[in-house]
Amino acid sequence: MQQRATITEATLIGNADLAPPRKRRGRPMHKILVSFSVAYFTGAFVTDLVYWQMPDVLWERFSIWLIAAGLIMAGVATVAYVIDLAGRRRIDRPAWPRAIGYGLAVLLALTNAFVHSRDGYTAVVPTGLTLSALVIVVLLLTAWVSMAQANRHRIGG
Amino acid sequence: MYQLKMVASPKLPRLAALLTTVACLGLAGCDDHAGDPKMQIGANPVLPAVQQYLMPPMRVAKAVGWGDETPTVSQGLQVHALATGLEHPRSVYVLPNGDVLVVESNGPKAPIYRPKDIITGWVQSFAGAKAKDANRITLIRGANGNGSPELRTVFLDHLNSPFGVALIGHDIYVANTDAIMRFPYQDGQTTITARGTKVTDLPGGPIDHHWTKALLASPDGSKLYVGVGSNSNIGENGIGAEYERAAVWEVDVASGAHRIFASGIRNPTGLQWEPETGKLWAIANERDEIGPDLVPDYLTSVKDGGFYGWPYSYYGQHLDPRIVPQRPDLVAKAIAPDYALSSHVAPLGVAMYTGTDLPANYRSGAFVGEHGSWNRTPLNGYKVVFVPFSDGQPSGPAQDVVTGFLDANNHARGRPVGLAVDRSGGLLIADDVGNTVWRVSGSLPKPAS
Repeated sequence: MQQRATITEATLIGNADLAPPRKRRGRPMHKILVSFSVAYFTGAFVTDLVYWQMPDVLWERFSIWLIAAGLIMAGVATVAYVIDLAGRRRIDRPAWPRAIGYGLAVLLALTNAFVHSRDGYTAVVPTGLTLSALVIVVLLLTAWVSMAQANRHRIGG
Repeated sequence: MYQLKMVASPKLPRLAALLTTVACLGLAGCDDHAGDPKMQIGANPVLPAVQQYLMPPMRVAKAVGWGDETPTVSQGLQVHALATGLEHPRSVYVLPNGDVLVVESNGPKAPIYRPKDIITGWVQSFAGAKAKDANRITLIRGANGNGSPELRTVFLDHLNSPFGVALIGHDIYVANTDAIMRFPYQDGQTTITARGTKVTDLPGGPIDHHWTKALLASPDGSKLYVGVGSNSNIGENGIGAEYERAAVWEVDVASGAHRIFASGIRNPTGLQWEPETGKLWAIANERDEIGPDLVPDYLTSVKDGGFYGWPYSYYGQHLDPRIVPQRPDLVAKAIAPDYALSSHVAPLGVAMYTGTDLPANYRSGAFVGEHGSWNRTPLNGYKVVFVPFSDGQPSGPAQDVVTGFLDANNHARGRPVGLAVDRSGGLLIADDVGNTVWRVSGSLPKPAS
């Protein structure tokens, strides 16, 4: 209740502590790690697209390592989230829709890691590529929903 | 372990398939629906539809060793340990004076290209497949039937993942994983210290997925035939890595020049001359990860210039969806192998029997050492079978000859690999988990007192 929906530069950062300074301040650790995993999953989607157009095994290997790295980052982010909660760092209000959306994306990416561990073309086309795209769609929707909840409008789903 | 799968059907809604998979994960293992291996033995194996897994099944038999047990042999046969305490013996070769060469070898370290490679290596270590590589050949003398050899010496040392051995005249040829080496040999010699000369390079590292190189000399001693396995399961290391692999090479002994005698054979692990027709026959390990009953491993005659399908197709024109771009020109001429041994049995040794020691029903045909499956439930292989031949062709179902490699808990006491027939007509079996060479003979070599 104490939070105002005033658009300031700090709001766009997304997690600035607008509440009066009480305890510790600072950006929650898990958010940084989450953006790493999102970048990895996006990269995997791109390399999947390239493999689909030009099935050289190199791209498929890029994809599986990117997905694996994204999953590791997601794992670390989850630990960091718990630490953030325990340490009472400020977690944004619309955290639950975001957490659920992100969790779904990570589950899809985990499935995708298994699909990408197949041998040959069907490691990517069609199931792996579809899952990679789905991960991105879920992440975008999650971002859009949480932004809409926070009364922001920057990226459309 | 896990037996989860997702049937790849483009029409199936993907989310539904995912949900099924998640349900499978929860239930810790859906049924694999492996069929009866007997349906896949012979000239016309039943081939089910391709399955694509979410998590490929890995089911290795834990290595436990023999203790006081020995393999079980069929009626009319006896089995003894010819030599024990070996280091991962993979193949056996018999010299004209009766000395037995045991190749103690293991594959080079597999590189890690994908996260999967880490997990595969970890699982294989349970099956005893990661034993250290002795890289040597041991000579055993005078052990016929009584289990205590007169002599056991290191015949050749400092080799590089050797597998095939062939004697031509007074030259011993050893197929290292990356080259054929020639060593001078005198009759009765028990150890070779000469450095050896290279006859030809063979496709080796850095990947070297299928590392064993089977070797067979032509009857006139002018050619060597080499089984060179593929560099992947199904081309996942790129088609460039498969250059001159998945093939049987013909090497000119005098010059070292080679040509591809036959291709499209995923992993030809054993070569033999069929005694009646004089034709070249091979055993081969087929591809994995498209189902418990795909693709059956086989025993086949090898035609000069023949193409046997890998990686594009199997058993003739059955396309493998994992290979893109396809090669319709090659698939069109792909030869279906002569005789299926059933899926994932992993034949690693073959011996055409020409001796007279074993009972009459074994006097024409091929013994095949089936190392056993690692990705199928229930397990398949883990035995030595006999495929009867008549008129130079397989003429009946494969019979179990040596079993008991698995105990009641499906743990591996041993796993059969290379085979050979010794001078007295006994069948020798290298066992790379039991670290033993077994000798199977006809009944009563020496009557008990």
